[in-house]
Amino acid sequence: MTGTNWARLVPFVLVGLVFQVAVLNDVTLFGAHPDVMILIAAGAGMAAGPQRGAVAGFVAGLAADLVVNLPYGLSPLTFVLVGFGTGMLRANLASREVESTQAAACVAAAALGTLGYALLGTITGRSGMLGLVTVYAVLAVTLGALVLSWPVLRGMRWVFAGSRARLGLAVPRGGSALS
Amino acid sequence: MAANRHTSQRLTLVMLVLASITVLTLDYHGQASHAITHVRNAVRDVISPIQRGIAVALHPVGDVFSGTIHYGSLETQNQQLREELGRIRLKLAADSYASAEAQRVLALAHLPYVAGIPLIPGEVIGNATSDFQATVELGEGTSSGVGPGMPVVANAGFVGTVVSASSSTATVLLLTDATSSIPVTIGGSGLYRALGTGWGRPLTLNYVAGTTAVHRGELVYTSGLGGGAIPAGLPVGFVRSVRVSSQGLSAAVTVTPIVNLDNLQFVDVLEWLEPG
Repeated sequence: MTGTNWARLVPFVLVGLVFQVAVLNDVTLFGAHPDVMILIAAGAGMAAGPQRGAVAGFVAGLAADLVVNLPYGLSPLTFVLVGFGTGMLRANLASREVESTQAAACVAAAALGTLGYALLGTITGRSGMLGLVTVYAVLAVTLGALVLSWPVLRGMRWVFAGSRARLGLAVPRGGSALS
Repeated sequence: MAANRHTSQRLTLVMLVLASITVLTLDYHGQASHAITHVRNAVRDVISPIQRGIAVALHPVGDVFSGTIHYGSLETQNQQLREELGRIRLKLAADSYASAEAQRVLALAHLPYVAGIPLIPGEVIGNATSDFQATVELGEGTSSGVGPGMPVVANAGFVGTVVSASSSTATVLLLTDATSSIPVTIGGSGLYRALGTGWGRPLTLNYVAGTTAVHRGELVYTSGLGGGAIPAGLPVGFVRSVRVSSQGLSAAVTVTPIVNLDNLQFVDVLEWLEPG
């Protein structure tokens, strides 16, 4: 990752964190809420490949865990896998340059990531993370991701703009000047 | 070239997974855990003014929408509340004698009672930060006297316990959280634990014998046991259902929290220190 990437990624993650805490946490559905931080990991993987996706996931996870009272490190672990997995998925998608396909992949990654978070939480000894609460969380995150994945994807393309050119990643159809 | 790239990608993944596991492990250890808590509190102090500002800006908008949509039911609810207030006033007069008796008995048993504990008023500035933990954020922290372990009430009913506090905010673990376990009693007899089962679901009481006389609608109070972390006499909820097992040995009792935890706005933190 270049200096420019870092200079853009860190503020982007911090803005995402404030948006999550101040706005999204109050948008509740069955007691759960959308999660923009996991989308940052998924969006990074989709915009810049598995390696950068994993790094961005790690940074987003470290930030996300600062505002919850669950074990610190659980989000980085999950988001690293989400970022890397989405990047790998991108490489194998037939219509990977279509923006709607990328957004749909981010939604699926966010949903799977939330499930993975619950599983990892349970493995690390936290009780009550699997059950109806998981269904509600996956539902809320998926619905939120349907709205948020597109702007987050655009944001991540801006963050990794220079790297994308070097990696030879094309501008998706329907992409903007931002990308 | 492609093979090199794949190796590099996998190496990055392994390094980051190991780094995450290291952080996770450090959080379970004393010193590092304290450092992480300090950083978390500092971040909360930075974010809370923004959170409070947005809450102030958005609540009136939400109230207008909610008030317009639910106008009819609000009028009905208002009338019901007036009637309930009248009933409560009558009951209050009758209960004052019973309350004095209860305090006398608790004092004999060296158990704490809620009356007389100073209250710190608090405002809820945010909902749960995690989908997997039933919490709310208060706009008061250690600078207002709020600290971890303090019980929180709203409308005289038990809400939860403060689990962490920065100088300007505090996180309250609600009694419905899956890790919550509150020592309770029903009508002053029997000692149980009310266990949280997650958002929107009733609490369950454990170890209730099938022969126990528990009735639907009975009030469940905190018992003051369990190390005295929570004083006795705080209403927790009403018995919602009682189902005795086929052998008649045990009963599955569920309890509806007395406070509506979905719409918490103002609460009181009990300035309560656990008895040594």
